[in-house]
Amino acid sequence: MSYEIRDSFWTFKNKVKIIYIFTLLGIVFWIAAIFLAPYLKSLSSPINKIIYYSFSKICHQAESRCFYIFGNQMAVCSRCLGIYIGFLAGTVYYPLIRGFGILSLPKHKTFFLATVPIGIDTLGNFFFLWNTAGWLRLILGFIWGIVLPFYFITGIADFFLNLNFHNKKQ
Amino acid sequence: MNEQRPGMFIPALIGGGIAGLLAGIPLVSCLCCLWIIGGGIIAVYFLAKDSFVALSPGDGAIVGVFSGIIAAVVEFLISIPLAPLENKLFKNLLVELSEYMDEMPAGFESWMNNSFQAPLYMILLGLVISVVIFSALGALGGVIGISIFKNRTIKSSQGVIDVPKNSIKTENSDNSKS
Repeated sequence: MSYEIRDSFWTFKNKVKIIYIFTLLGIVFWIAAIFLAPYLKSLSSPINKIIYYSFSKICHQAESRCFYIFGNQMAVCSRCLGIYIGFLAGTVYYPLIRGFGILSLPKHKTFFLATVPIGIDTLGNFFFLWNTAGWLRLILGFIWGIVLPFYFITGIADFFLNLNFHNKKQ
Repeated sequence: MNEQRPGMFIPALIGGGIAGLLAGIPLVSCLCCLWIIGGGIIAVYFLAKDSFVALSPGDGAIVGVFSGIIAAVVEFLISIPLAPLENKLFKNLLVELSEYMDEMPAGFESWMNNSFQAPLYMILLGLVISVVIFSALGALGGVIGISIFKNRTIKSSQGVIDVPKNSIKTENSDNSKS
């Protein structure tokens, strides 16, 4: 019996690890694409249009709110870039804080604390009350993004673990 | 206890519909990925409302994925008729803003002119990309929603005594026998 528990725990840890690795690879690929778009544009490669267009689905890409690299604007605005870099930082820190043996969501107060600064700033800019500098948007996005992998990895891993449990049951 | 999970389609439809609508409307759509994550949270709210069992983060993730897919389709459908209007709307906004502001943000005009000049194959590719990205963001929103509304689910199940119908029949039949 103890062997079974140990074996299932080992499987559990491995599955969480697999989800973690895929998330890490995904966010690295995602951020690489953000930097790749202006580089490809500087080389006049047509692929840059596909990357810019893909990111236009989730970002306004206003020139005044984007950072510039290789002489061209990045594929997302400074706030979105901050969120994605924060997500990467959170993913890197995930095993140090949570490990792979536990699946638990952060307290919802953590999420609200991380959301308040970016929320106030976004609303202020949206209603033209103030205009935040790009670096500050990046930092606020980073603060929000750093908590997100703790939700994402937990949710996806839990889904696949439950899926496997139900399949075994059947 | 009633172990049956509530239906996910209606909550996903509501959350995804709202998210897709807001993501497709010009000007309002400038809040980036917020709407899609918000759609996932809304979907979980409706899922938790009708649920008598404690929902897991995995439940949130899957309802979030569905709401993301629905949001991508709704946003795509809305953006087709609104695309010509968007440029007109931005032009009007630019004129109005120029009256109040001394200096317009750099590149605002070219950003406005470059909007919605994508060919058909790019639009269809955009739908596929939207489905993938919105699903991931919706899943994230769904899991966040679980952390917010988890207590609500447990509370709603409290005070409900779920007695299986079969057990009542068995008891009655046992009494009649004795």
